Amino acid sequence: MTCREFKHTAASLTLWELSRPGDKQIVDHAEACPQCGAWLDRQQTLAVEMQVLQAQTAGREAGPYVERALLQVFRQATSKRQPVVALRSAPVAFRLSRFFELGAYAAVAAAIIVALFLGVRLLEQRTVTAPVQGQSTPAASTSPVQPAQTAGNATVQQPAAASLKREVAAHPVSHSGSTRRPSVAAASQTSDDADYVALMFCDPLICSSDAQVVRMELPVAGAGDHDTQTQVADVVVGDDGLVRAMRIVN
Amino acid sequence: MQNLTDEQLLAQALAGDEEAFTVLYRRRQGPVFRFALHMSGSAQVAEEVTQDVFVFLVQRGHDFDPSRGALGAYLFGVARNYVRRALERSYSEALLHTPADDEAQSLVTEDDPAEGIARRQSSNALWKAVLSLPEHYREVVVLCDLQEQSYAQAAEALGCAIGTIRSRLHRAHDMLGKKLKHSAAAPGPVSRVTARFAS
Repeated sequence: MTCREFKHTAASLTLWELSRPGDKQIVDHAEACPQCGAWLDRQQTLAVEMQVLQAQTAGREAGPYVERALLQVFRQATSKRQPVVALRSAPVAFRLSRFFELGAYAAVAAAIIVALFLGVRLLEQRTVTAPVQGQSTPAASTSPVQPAQTAGNATVQQPAAASLKREVAAHPVSHSGSTRRPSVAAASQTSDDADYVALMFCDPLICSSDAQVVRMELPVAGAGDHDTQTQVADVVVGDDGLVRAMRIVN
Repeated sequence: MQNLTDEQLLAQALAGDEEAFTVLYRRRQGPVFRFALHMSGSAQVAEEVTQDVFVFLVQRGHDFDPSRGALGAYLFGVARNYVRRALERSYSEALLHTPADDEAQSLVTEDDPAEGIARRQSSNALWKAVLSLPEHYREVVVLCDLQEQSYAQAAEALGCAIGTIRSRLHRAHDMLGKKLKHSAAAPGPVSRVTARFAS
């Protein structure tokens, strides 16, 4: 073994392995080479002294107060961590409560919107019906027809251009004195109004609005003399002046 | 509880089991304390470092990844950083020159006072030589020679290759041998220290 090989082999050994070398080649070379032998002696001396130092400090440990302090820190950390763990362990409950909370908010909001809508509707009905109550003829103020007195009934003469004679009368449904004017839907629901026939495609948003029933004399179609033959009919006229439905009065 | 591995104890401790933490601490505090003691030469610093290491484990133990190494090596790595910080503080300079009195008095006493003095003298000379080594050499000497860690364990704790550990250790032994030879030839400061310890 050369000195280079000796150094290379010795470098791979720990101090404890060098202190009692089992490799015969190392021992032989150390005995033959005074320089390598001195180096090995130094390493062995170092190993012995290191062993002494290690033995002297082997029993050394941290004092008991370190353990007490650490346990306090541990308890504090655990108590801080506990609520977080509890929260993580019940995420479904947390989400459900959050869901119901949001649902409750949505329900309250919806209730407020519905209440506002109904309130506006009620207010609108009152403002529309109030002036009608004071009039003898419900259609007098709303329709552009000329009033004319015939036999105590409030009849309205249609303008000449319209070539219609309309007779305004109290609606049979509203004979109880109610100020509420019947709608198409209401007219179709009662037995008296079962004979009404819708005259146009009725948009529910429009047709559900207030309407008036006007008794008219309509010219009979197909007759020779248009001006002489008429037929009395109840016509449901909306606020917009369009006819919603009608029925023939026998 | 005693049969559980370090990793199992840590998992239970992080789940809030105080007993698991106590067992883990009692199992691992000695090596950590001695590592800090050998690195700093001060029991006070070693206790501070030990406390800091386990506080770190309580607070950041979730960061430990068992697939990257053993818990023991992880603790040595954490302790190494705390020792470095402690040594960077002001008193580290003084500690490197004269080991604390309590360390010297804690050494094993011999029946024969002369032999005890000689042993303490040589131990203190070695310790002083170890403390005077550059930090990266001192770490490998403390871990491999004084803590009896294998090269692989030391490499894991220090985060470097096994070959690096081997070469550093070889170089450190050479340096220690020379330092001890010089101190034996000129026993001035060591003799003063050991004389104070012996008195």
